Amino acid sequence: MQDLITSTINTFDVRAQYPDSDAMNRLEEYFRSGDLRAKASLAISANAKSIITKAVAKSLMYTDITAPGGNMYTCRRYAACIRDLEYFLRYATYAMLAGDPSILEERVLNGLRETYNSLGVPIGGTMRAVQAMKEVTADLVGTDAGKEMGVYFDYICSGLS
Amino acid sequence: MSIITRSIKSADRQARYLNLGELKAVEDFYQGGEDRLRLAQILVANEAEIVNKGSQRFWQRYPNTPSNTGNPTFRASCLRDQGWYLRLITYALVLGDTEPIDKSGIKGVKEMYQSLEIPLKNLAECMRCLKEVTAEMLSLKDAAAIAPYFDYIIQGFL
Repeated sequence: MQDLITSTINTFDVRAQYPDSDAMNRLEEYFRSGDLRAKASLAISANAKSIITKAVAKSLMYTDITAPGGNMYTCRRYAACIRDLEYFLRYATYAMLAGDPSILEERVLNGLRETYNSLGVPIGGTMRAVQAMKEVTADLVGTDAGKEMGVYFDYICSGLS
Repeated sequence: MSIITRSIKSADRQARYLNLGELKAVEDFYQGGEDRLRLAQILVANEAEIVNKGSQRFWQRYPNTPSNTGNPTFRASCLRDQGWYLRLITYALVLGDTEPIDKSGIKGVKEMYQSLEIPLKNLAECMRCLKEVTAEMLSLKDAAAIAPYFDYIIQGFL
């Protein structure tokens, strides 16, 4: 995995160049947003369970998915679903701290769609839940940090679709 | 690897969020970030002068070195390599870790220069000269922040 700093450096090292002014501005911006990122991470970790609860209530609860025959029917499947949502939230938070989505690619998205398809997990429902998590998280951490987290939730969704 | 990536990796191994201590360290790192960028920019802006002065000093101390034989290729390579090490130092500075120096400038360096028949102790001295002229250009505090990276390179040559 990489963070914004490492990925910038790697890009320029292979060209034997100094980071250009755009890259420097991005780095500066990133360092300046550090306080926001650290605070958001703390808030999310303290409220992770409730974020999942609210997101599920918002997106999946009392739909076909939780009804008998749906993919969240039976506690075992329900538990597997919220476990995955917990993963998504934790990895999105890591990526937000790092300012780089590579950890999502490596640890979450790599082969996930294929796995879900073979298990019969509905991608549409998963994406709805991730989008709901994005909204619930934004309510919790505020607009600026919420927007930044949104980038990584959206990244998960586009990786699934 | 920055402290951010390092903390994330160790948290991930235990499937947990970053704890308060880790986040505090990460926050300090963010806060020092602008200062590290500023220092890196000073180095970038003065690269030509640092390399120029550094090599003059080096050739005074070690007149019998391949880059001082009048061979233009050797000379140009010596200047280029100094510039490269300076660039790696700016990377390391911004990252707050010696990883870029290690990856691109230390691993295999002895074998490479030995095979090119360039004496390692000359290289080490060349880096020492670079370090000195850089330090002379900077405030005491900035010089102290940058010195460990030069020392790291010098150690890598020995």
